[in-house]
Amino acid sequence: MSTTVILYGTESGNSELVAEDLAADLGGDRDVRVYDMSDFDVADFDTDDFYLVVCSTHGDGELPGGAKPLLEALNSEQPDLSGIRYAVFGLGNSTYETYSQGSEIIDRRFTELGAERVGVYGRHDACDGSLPNDGAVEWARELLVLV
Amino acid sequence: MHRSEVSTATEAATMPAPAAHSIAIVGSGPAGCYVAHFLRKRWPTAEIVIFDRLGLPYGLVRYGVAPDHTGTKAVARQFDRLFEQGGVRFVGGTEIGRHLTVDQLREAFDVVVLATGLSADRPLGIPGATGRPVPVVTTSTGTQPAGATVHGAALSGAALSGVYGSGRLTRLINGHPDENAEGVVFGSRVAIVGQGNVAIDLLRLLLMSPDELRGHGVADEVVNAIAAGPVRHIDIVGRSSLSRAKFDPAMISELAKIPNVRFLADHGELHDADAEPRDLAKRDVLLRLLATASHDADRTDANPGSDRTVRFHFGWVPERLEGAGSVDTLSLRGSVGSDSSLKLAVDSVLTAIGFFEAADAPLRRQSHESPDSDLEIGRLGPGLYCVGWLRRGPQGTIPANRTDAKMVADVIAAAADAGEFFPGKPGFAGLNLLPSDH
Repeated sequence: MSTTVILYGTESGNSELVAEDLAADLGGDRDVRVYDMSDFDVADFDTDDFYLVVCSTHGDGELPGGAKPLLEALNSEQPDLSGIRYAVFGLGNSTYETYSQGSEIIDRRFTELGAERVGVYGRHDACDGSLPNDGAVEWARELLVLV
Repeated sequence: MHRSEVSTATEAATMPAPAAHSIAIVGSGPAGCYVAHFLRKRWPTAEIVIFDRLGLPYGLVRYGVAPDHTGTKAVARQFDRLFEQGGVRFVGGTEIGRHLTVDQLREAFDVVVLATGLSADRPLGIPGATGRPVPVVTTSTGTQPAGATVHGAALSGAALSGVYGSGRLTRLINGHPDENAEGVVFGSRVAIVGQGNVAIDLLRLLLMSPDELRGHGVADEVVNAIAAGPVRHIDIVGRSSLSRAKFDPAMISELAKIPNVRFLADHGELHDADAEPRDLAKRDVLLRLLATASHDADRTDANPGSDRTVRFHFGWVPERLEGAGSVDTLSLRGSVGSDSSLKLAVDSVLTAIGFFEAADAPLRRQSHESPDSDLEIGRLGPGLYCVGWLRRGPQGTIPANRTDAKMVADVIAAAADAGEFFPGKPGFAGLNLLPSDH
């Protein structure tokens, strides 16, 4: 059975909470697994599964610490991600010029390795102090109807 | 959302353990809340109680982060969930070391985690200022952060008024119950000593209009103290070169949005030969600020009197404060080659040079250390742990304390798995607290 795999990359924990909320919301209808990007093995990518990438932005447009091991593994192992379908939800703060770029780094690498991004690119802007969770859940519901 | 839904998500991520430990966490700042988060994930049924001496939780997130940095403050929303949905209990108004002892907690709880941080302002330690330079004793690694200890001779003479620590000021600006603006006078010429993000926070807040400050929830008495100056000129001073200064580039680019300010620097201080590639971003962003701001200053010429100046000084060490009762001069010497000196006329001096553990703190880490302690992993003794700044010293941002909390939570879980302690103590009920006790 197809599994929805949620991969979160976090620095201060917001993406982790978004991932947990997504899992709680979607878990009734489908098989959902949540992984910290730090704990996910790139050998486990499976074309039967659908991937939801939730990733924040750190510092000056960099990846959050929790996403770095995954990017390093993608760079060193160069897995063939052809046939992998994924969607991205990026967290950031638009008061920075590099708004939401952390998620874009992962997105770019996935695409370069042959994966296909589907649906709307979800984003949350933290500049007003709001939580990304509700917007992310809504984004995922709309997206998953289509895939 | 209901609690059951959250535990569904938790179970999807980790294996629940059957043991129901009781855990007391002292301090509800980021390190304490993150530890609670990771232990809750590990042990969904454990009793977790967070104690804080203040009535409201979140410590530095509430009282140390600048009020206009709403994105950073939003981390508190994560912590809200611990108490609203995660079944974590908050016991405010209860100071451990005063209302209750650590030993009482250890008798009642299987695990006690100290997460009280370090909130005392590191003193300038030069003639005219209070206190002596503080040796760095709280770091577990024994490394001394560059520029953290201000070089200074033995003190002579009385401390002058008009010198304020960044901890006190950020607490004041954030409405901390222990602080008030009485006697706080900035005047029109302010020097900020320090080159970290906290120094830039103070700079930005001093340049904010009264309306903006009020808009961020700053109390009227504090707004009035800032507006009373009014602050016209700010010198921002540090011992490091520009490339070694600790602020993040994004903090500097944020300054460009402030209207009616001319940013200045001695161009000889902006270039150093040993800059690393990463440091160049810092230099570029400051050069851009200096260029943009002087362009803006041309436009404000039509409106004389409304412009203000900020001058960055790199490579200067505070040597002495002078004045009659209140500070009026900050004397500096060059940090490379001690023959150069500089005197700045000031009405007040703001220090943002770090934090330490106050000698009179009710809960001091040292009094709970033993030969059995291993600070590298946050272990003080059987079932007793420390985390965050209290464990490793006053360095690192909120995310760094999350990483720290994850490590210590893993250590606690491993100790439980190894049978170092077992569930069985009574937890909060065992404290027999009457409502009047806290």
